[in-house]
Amino acid sequence: MTRSNSIPGAVFLAIGLGLVATGLAFPEGVGGLPGAGFFPKAIGGVMTVLACGLLVRGREVPGGEHAEISNVSQVAGAAALLFVYLLLWGTGYFIPRTAAFLALMLRFLGQGWPSALGYSAALTAFVYLAFNMGLNVSLE
Amino acid sequence: MIAEILAGLAAVLDWHVLGFLAVGVSLGAVFGSLPGLTATMGVAVLTPLTFWVSAEQGLAMLLGIYCGAIPAGGIPAILINVPGTPASIATSWDGYSLTRKGQAGLALGVNALASAIGQLTSILFLAFLAFPIASFALQFGPAEYFGLALLGISLMAGVSGRYVLKGMLAGTLGLALALVGLDPMTAYPRYTFGMSEFLDGISFVPVMIGLFGLGEVLVQISERHEARKTASAVIGRIVPSTSEARTMIGATFSGATVGTMVGAIPAAGGDIGSVIAWEQARRASKDKESFGKGSLRGLAASCSACNAAIGGAMTTMLTLGIPGDAVSAILIGALLIHGIQPGPLLFANNQSFVFSIVFLLVLASLLIMAVGILGAKPLARILNIPSPWLWTGIVLFGTVGSYALNNAVVDVWAMYAAGIAGFLFRKAQIPLGPLVLGLILGPMMESNLRRALILSRGDWLGLLSRPILLAFLSATVLSLLWPLIRARRAARGPNPEAS
Repeated sequence: MTRSNSIPGAVFLAIGLGLVATGLAFPEGVGGLPGAGFFPKAIGGVMTVLACGLLVRGREVPGGEHAEISNVSQVAGAAALLFVYLLLWGTGYFIPRTAAFLALMLRFLGQGWPSALGYSAALTAFVYLAFNMGLNVSLE
Repeated sequence: MIAEILAGLAAVLDWHVLGFLAVGVSLGAVFGSLPGLTATMGVAVLTPLTFWVSAEQGLAMLLGIYCGAIPAGGIPAILINVPGTPASIATSWDGYSLTRKGQAGLALGVNALASAIGQLTSILFLAFLAFPIASFALQFGPAEYFGLALLGISLMAGVSGRYVLKGMLAGTLGLALALVGLDPMTAYPRYTFGMSEFLDGISFVPVMIGLFGLGEVLVQISERHEARKTASAVIGRIVPSTSEARTMIGATFSGATVGTMVGAIPAAGGDIGSVIAWEQARRASKDKESFGKGSLRGLAASCSACNAAIGGAMTTMLTLGIPGDAVSAILIGALLIHGIQPGPLLFANNQSFVFSIVFLLVLASLLIMAVGILGAKPLARILNIPSPWLWTGIVLFGTVGSYALNNAVVDVWAMYAAGIAGFLFRKAQIPLGPLVLGLILGPMMESNLRRALILSRGDWLGLLSRPILLAFLSATVLSLLWPLIRARRAARGPNPEAS
């Protein structure tokens, strides 16, 4: 079973079954008219069938396409840095928090400290001016 | 009608609107010129900036980005053989060959001119055919709208290339995400998890920013195997001679026709249109051997077609409310926030706004042609900007833009989750287009089917007596079966024509 089919197939199968199960808990329609649960059940049913098809296809194509994620550490690191930045959203001041995040991100992605610090300061200032001063969006 | 045309023109000829258009075209040129930054990403990330201005000003900027990014996507395709946007894949086939022959400037000039012709031809299509299409669509009732939405999703899955099954699954996931919020008929909360933020459903724009902004940035970080190519070609002469122009004029217009038609089909955007137009020009040419080796006809056909898809997609979006591609899906979201609902009623109730869009598209096309010719050399230098600078810029704009929509942190988290999902989807070769279409068309499908059933008093079979709905359902079945039939044919034996 190829990973690019089996993992998404399993995830979609779980979502489809979940939709059907939760759809059963929503109110039924009256007088032959569908209620709030009709579409979740219908979509979940279609998704379940299609997901089974994907799983079967994964078995039929041995050695087919594989989902491959290279530079995993870089991707995970960048996603984690952004996660921490979002967790800290609303604490402290926007400018130092954002400039520090950008500088760390740029350094992590291979830029030297001087260019990372310079660019992050300029970008933070630009975004702050554009949103806070230009569009009156409170970023603090 | 004349009064509406003049009102539409007057709205566009406002200095603020023209300024936003110029900014949009310039930003679009930058987004298109940089490989990895697409028109979709540009429109998604910068949409939040338009919510503080009028609908005309906001739309001017977004249409400027759209019309600017697609032709500019040809610049890296020509100079370094890396398409700036998916639509310019076919541009690289002949464009880069011309660069290797020392004719980079000529290729850039052809790209600018053919792109403008493609865009203007498709805008003519929009201007002349949108009103008849919209007036026909005024006959649609809830049942027909349900059928149309169903057809839109099935077409999108059908053009998902080798990944039809995954395309269908992505479409159903989009439909499932559209279920979040209050049930459209009974206001029963579904999948809100007790959070009031979800009562209105999932915020569309942050999800788009995540899928096409953050998701794409993570993909590029993942695929950073080698140093990015930089442009070093000598540009030289840009404007084609009269004889060169004569050579490619037929291919340009045939490409524009193909691109417009393909663009009008939901989901089949410029990437598909340009490949079909290139192949059509090759077949029509006496000099087939030159295609892929620096043919001006091939280059003109592909550039023209990928830009003509804009007008086709806009026609479908404005007349039927169905997005022709991912960019027009985001444009629908932006218009809805400004209180404008695309669809046939827009043509009945707000004709001057429709004409404003037509004039904006014309101006954007002319502006990007000038930028393409006069600014080819500076745009080529943009290719040398370090990727991490672009990535961090996209991430910051996406984050702050998502937050700025409603001053809500939940939108920022929605953007983040969509970004991670977008990255994983791309890695698993799951097309994002059907997901977006499902998200947009889900509420339309559900509410119209249920309204139609109320009108038919719960008679499901009675719905099938409506001929337009029946036509949509037949087309839906055909569009879903067609890829399977094609696959079966291909499995039976090699087809020299297809190869």
